[in-house]
This record gives sequence, C-alpha cells and structure tokens, in this order.
Amino acid sequence: MSNVIEVKNLTKEYKTLKAIDDLSFEVKEGEILGLLGPNGSGKSTTINCILSLLKFSKGSIQIFGKEMTPNAYDIKKELGVIFQEVAVFEELTVYENIDYFCGLYIKDKKVRKQYIEEAIELVGLEEFKKFYPKQLSGGLLRRLNIACGIAHKPKLIFLDEPTVAVDPQSRNNILDGIKKLRDNGATIVYTTHYMEEVEILCDRIIILDKGKILAQGTSDELKELAKIEEKVTVEINQLEDSMLEKMKKIEHIEEVNYTENTLVVTYNKGENNLGNLIEFLKRENLGYSKIYSERPTLNDVFLELTGKELRD
Amino acid sequence: MTVFKTFLKVLNKCKFSVILNTVILLIFAGVNMQASDTQMNFEATKPDILIVNQDTNIGITQNLTKYLEGNCEIIAVKDNEDAINDALFYRDVNYVIYIPQNYRQDVLKGENPEIQIKSTGDYQASYAEMLLARYVKVQNIYVKELVKQTDNKTLADEKVENEIIEKINQTISKQTEIEMTSKLDTTGLEKATFYYNFANYTLLAGAILVICLILSSFHEERIRKRTIVSSMKYQKHNRILLLGNGLFALVLWLFYVFISFFVVGNVMFSMQGIIYMINSFVFTLCALTIAFLVGSIINNKNAMNGIVNVIALGSSFLCGAFVPVEWLPDTVLKIAHILPSYWYIQSNELVKTMEEFNLETLKPIMINMGVVLLFAIGFIIVANLIERKKRKIA
Repeated sequence: MSNVIEVKNLTKEYKTLKAIDDLSFEVKEGEILGLLGPNGSGKSTTINCILSLLKFSKGSIQIFGKEMTPNAYDIKKELGVIFQEVAVFEELTVYENIDYFCGLYIKDKKVRKQYIEEAIELVGLEEFKKFYPKQLSGGLLRRLNIACGIAHKPKLIFLDEPTVAVDPQSRNNILDGIKKLRDNGATIVYTTHYMEEVEILCDRIIILDKGKILAQGTSDELKELAKIEEKVTVEINQLEDSMLEKMKKIEHIEEVNYTENTLVVTYNKGENNLGNLIEFLKRENLGYSKIYSERPTLNDVFLELTGKELRD
Repeated sequence: MTVFKTFLKVLNKCKFSVILNTVILLIFAGVNMQASDTQMNFEATKPDILIVNQDTNIGITQNLTKYLEGNCEIIAVKDNEDAINDALFYRDVNYVIYIPQNYRQDVLKGENPEIQIKSTGDYQASYAEMLLARYVKVQNIYVKELVKQTDNKTLADEKVENEIIEKINQTISKQTEIEMTSKLDTTGLEKATFYYNFANYTLLAGAILVICLILSSFHEERIRKRTIVSSMKYQKHNRILLLGNGLFALVLWLFYVFISFFVVGNVMFSMQGIIYMINSFVFTLCALTIAFLVGSIINNKNAMNGIVNVIALGSSFLCGAFVPVEWLPDTVLKIAHILPSYWYIQSNELVKTMEEFNLETLKPIMINMGVVLLFAIGFIIVANLIERKKRKIA
C-alpha cells in the first residue's frame, strides 16, 4: 500500500508554545488512521497544518505524493473534511447544504444529484432532506455535517472529532458510515479522544500528547506496550490496609488500588489470575458484590505513558 | 453557479428583512418629502373685506371704494356691529374699512381724515391694510401737491378732483414687467434633489443590511474554512459573491430609480433626471463596496442593524441628506468631506440649479462622481486586504 499522506518533522509554534513538536508519520492508502489524544494534544492543529489552513514552522507535508500548499487545488479536489464544529448554512435545507458543498467540487448536475442522494443515504438523513438545520437535533446535525464533507466522494477524508456531543444512535450511525467509506476505498484520518471509537474503527492509531507522538501502531500493538496484562475489578465493602498488603503478595500482581468500595488489581502476566483472586477472597472471608476481569485499554496505555487519563 | 444559486437562496431567506426595510425607508422618504414640500408656485388670492361707507359714494370716496373692489373681495354683511364682529370672528371677513362721513370733503380740504379699520390680524388682513395704505399714501401725495399750488377753493373744484383721481389711478395702476429668464421646474427639481439626497440613506442602508447579512453567512468562520479547503479557488468564490452582490445593488438602484419616476415626475425625463440617475448609480457602486468592506470586518448578524444605522444615518446627517447643506455648520461640512455621501449630495445640489449642460457646467459633477468612485476603489482594496489577511490567519 502506498502512502497517501507523508508528514515529516512537522513543527508548529505559537510564540513560546510548541503546539506540534517534530511530528512524523504516514497514512497508508485505504486505512483508517486514528489520532488519539486528550484535548489540546495537537490533533486538530495537525489536521489544520495538513490541510494548509495553518502555516507551520518546520517540516514537510505530502499528499498523494505532492507537496500540500494552499493553492494545491488538484490535491484539494480529492479531500473531504469534516470539522469538529458543524459548518452548514442555516438558510439552506439539508439537501441544499449538501448540494452547495458538493457543488464546490462537482460541476455536473446529474452526477451531483446522484452523489447527494448517496451521501444522504450513507448518513441516514433520507427523511430530513427538506429540513432546515434549526429543525435538526445535535446528532442529525453532525450527520449532515459529515454528508456535506463526503458527498463529492473524496479519496482522503479528515474527520475531526465528528462524534462530540452526539447521542448513541447517531454515533453508531456515524461510525457505520465511516466504515462504509473505508470499504468504498477512501483513506481516513480520524481524530478523537474517545478510545472506544479508535479501537473499533481504526486500523492504526497514533497517540499524541503535547504535540508529540507517544506511540503508534495497531490497537493490539499499543496494548502490548502496557506493563499490565490483566485488570480485575472487585466491588467490595470495607477493606483494611493490612488485607491490601497481604493481597500484594499474590503472584503476578503489579498493583492493588482500593478507592470508593472498588478494588482494582492489575497483573503483569500469569494465568487464572481471576480464579486465584476469588480463592483469596473466599479464604479471607471477604464478601463482594461484583467481580470482573478485562484486558488493558488504550486509556491504560496512555495512563502508563503520561501518568494521566485520556479524558483529563 | 452553485455559489451564485446559494447566494440567491440566502438572499431569498433575507427577503422579509429586504421588503420590510424598503417599505420603511419608502414611507420615511414619503413623509419627509411631504414635510419638506416647499411650494414654489402661487395662486393670486384677494382678501375678503367689508367696506362700511359712511360718506356719499362719489368722487374721491367712490374712487377709493372702486379701487378696493378691484383688489379685494367685497363681502356683504348686515349693517350692524355685532354682525361685523361675528364675520371677523368666523373669518368671513379679514378686514373692515370704515370710510368716515365727509371723507371726500376732508380730503379735498387737504386734511388726512382717519379711516377706522377692524382686522383679523392674519396675512390676508395685512394685505388689505397694505392696499389701503398704498392708496391713501398716493392720494395724500397728490392732494398735498395741489394744496401747494392752489387754495382750498380751487381744490374743491370738480375739475381738480378729477385730476387728482386720474393721477392716483395712473400711479396705482403702474405695473412692472417681469420676465422669468429661468425656465427651471424648481418645484420638481427640489423634490428630485430631496429624493436623491434621501437615497443616500436608502441605498446605503439597503445595500449594507442585505449584503452584510448574506456575506455573514458565507464568511462564517466554519463555512469559510470548508470553502478554503475545497477545490474551488477562493478568489473565484469571492468574485461570484461580488457579482451576486453587484446584481443585488443594481436591482436596488433600479427599484429606487423606478420609484423616483412616480414620486418626482417629469423632472426624471429631463437632462437633470439623467444626471440624478447616473450620480445615484455611481453612489450605488460605492455603497456596494462599503457593504463589502463592512461584511469583511463584521460577521455578527445581530450587530448588523446597529452598524447600518451608524453608517447610513450618520453619513446622511453629516452630509446633508436630511437637512439642507446650507444649514450645516462649517466644521460638520469639513468632516463630511471624508465621506463619499458628501460628494454625492453635492452633485445633486449642483444639478438642481443647472440650466445649461456642457463640459464646463458638468465638470464639477464629474469631479464629484470621480471622488465617489475613488472612495469605492479604496474600500474594495481595503476589503480585499482584510479578506486576504483573514485567509492567511485561518
């Protein structure tokens, strides 16, 4: 697979602040690349630099093998952008909005009409064609925003946090739509701070913080970076410190954390860790209401890498 | 075409504002035109008077009553004081002249007998008083002259009396021939000037309000970003917007010119009318660029009405669109020089007094139009610079 985007040593400085610090990465054709990071980590700035909406201090950006500049209209015609904020005309209906933004790329009326219908179908707005943005809910507005950005069938799509403040139904609809776009051959750059989304959607993930790449790879590759292999959570009342100390002596336990009646036990490796812990609780005569085991999440990876949560 | 179509759709969404604004401005203009309607023609009217002649109606007395009958409307009222007072009170009569007993004889004696009067005090009564005073003054001059030449006996002679009457009549019947050299329809021109001066406000307000409302939609930061990343050249996008706005300004101008044919009338078919139209067209171009400049600076739809008032009303007051330029203080007029409205209104004022149309007489108007166009060029350059800067920042 060839590289659709090549970013080399990208640096963006605002006076004394480095918003992006020597960033280098590639996006391969047909993949969904997730840019994951907390608010202010540099995700949107990176996208704006790639799109030539922001001047950058150092580095180079190539899209489809050509240098990206504000006047690179041959590149721009293959791009679709969905910004974080909904960007539509209040005065136009759903159909007219999509028609306007699609019309900036496609001149042929017949082709455009077909593309608009397909975009409306993709985001599930068939029943709302004649509605004005004011009449739409937040979720439907987000879907319209996406339809406006992808109606012209771009080869490369940038989605900047498209699911912020969206209801679960609309979120699922949006995520399904993005998968369909990828299946249709589009390459997608997806920024978010929702780790669940990148896990189910992205082929590759770049974790950003303070404008730097902390880690990149597939979801599984990133999780390999975590020291922990298993996490067991127990809902338990009244646990004394001496019991916690005793628990720490169990084999493979990395850390024991007890706050607000919830005990979280992390293991660095080992088998049947959950069974061993249940056995221990029985032996010590400690009652519990709920117990479950899970693999480490990207949040755990981020926590280990930065010492803070993704949503901090 | 997509951008232009969207421009029209957004304009269509603003139609309520456009219609409301136009109707309000037209009503405002109509009311102001009525208020400032200065009548330049007149119809001769005679004051209504009552003559109570207590003398015998012959000779000099008869000549006086004849003179008054010729210049005034003689009203018949019952011969008692109550009826006369009522007639004055109800304005049936403006002026009552009491010719005393022995008036003729006293005049011929060289005396100046007192004529009692009653008056309503209005302008018609003043006119009647003026007529009477004029007659008595002339009469006294000739009587005094003849008194010097002869003694009282000969003055009472019928021949001499006739001579006096003849001289009085000759003098008061003298008329000055006045030839009107100017053939200007001053009333029509006054109306036209007021209408087109007022257009300074209507054109500016209409253009700024509508164009800025439309531009604020297209220039909204989020939509601007989407347009910039699209494959349509941003300059082309802006050119289409300028074309759309230009078309709207043209329609606005045509509308106000069309209305002027009804409001002002015949003047619009004259050379002056053509100049008014050309001058207002040049100003419309300038209003368009002002709207473009404002639209590139301000994107807040809610602030638009306030900005329209500041720019359109402010320049209209400062430059004499509502108040005659002659009434404005020198300092205000000096400040007004920096506004295109001043040059536009100055041209209108010049047209009002123009009778000959040649290169020399048209030169000042052409210079004013040139200044307005220079303003327009300046505004569009500044608007473009702002747009370019905004694009770079984005």
